[in-house]
Amino acid sequence: MMNKPINHFSTRIWLILVALTILTFCIGEEVAQGKAVMLSVLAIAFIKGQLIANYFMGLRHVSWLWRGIIMGYFMVVGGMIAIAYLTA
Amino acid sequence: MNTNTAVVSDSESLPAEDLPGDFAIWIFILAEMLVFGVMFIVYAFARAHQLEVFNASQLTLNRGLGTLNTIILITSSYFVVRSVAAIKVNNAQQSVRWLLGALALGAMFIAVKLWEFNEKFSAGITLETNDFYMYYLTLTSFHLMHVLMGVIILGCVVFKLNKGDYTATEHFGVETGASFWHMVDLLWIVLFPLVYIIH
Repeated sequence: MMNKPINHFSTRIWLILVALTILTFCIGEEVAQGKAVMLSVLAIAFIKGQLIANYFMGLRHVSWLWRGIIMGYFMVVGGMIAIAYLTA
Repeated sequence: MNTNTAVVSDSESLPAEDLPGDFAIWIFILAEMLVFGVMFIVYAFARAHQLEVFNASQLTLNRGLGTLNTIILITSSYFVVRSVAAIKVNNAQQSVRWLLGALALGAMFIAVKLWEFNEKFSAGITLETNDFYMYYLTLTSFHLMHVLMGVIILGCVVFKLNKGDYTATEHFGVETGASFWHMVDLLWIVLFPLVYIIH
């Protein structure tokens, strides 16, 4: 009984992740992508990463430092990728 | 008044929980993420120098299979979450069932990836075809090795769960294996849009 609400919540997170993946695929089918589209796809990846880190890995319960490290990682790596694409 | 304040401040200053699983696995996770992070950035800047080659080659990738594998990995991660939740209430049998589901999905990911590689190799594509394919094959096969490692780790956890080694109070190993598996998922979350989608 005790773990039911947690499980139910993780099911919602899973459904959101699947929906965001399908959205990414639909965007990928668009051959002529603009810079805004590229940034949107990276933003979706950022959201998915945060959902996995906080709710699947369970980092929302631990020190903010670990959440910060994962968020910082996505910001730095995603940011560098964005810079490379915007300046190409 | 004072009592209320004390209650509020007590609940706000509740100590954060420890990281799930062994601390060493988190150092390993950070190291792996760092290595992959550098490779992702190198790919992005290499692409900037050969836009046409990268864009044309990327369009030959099977985005459907890439998407399928993303859903497979996300779902396997969800199964692992359910497995950890099950052992936390001492339901080892349920925990094993969820992990076996995750393992089956892991095997499916590997099968889909090998199918995809076979498609490319049959078309005569190798590491030397061009820089895009070199990065695509290197990044995805390096990630595939981590999936394989994750399958072995989860297999060991299932073995120990079956032996009754984990309980509601002692399930460190389950959380350690789960954390590694989620990292494999986390890395794919960046790799998939980078190599298959954005151009």
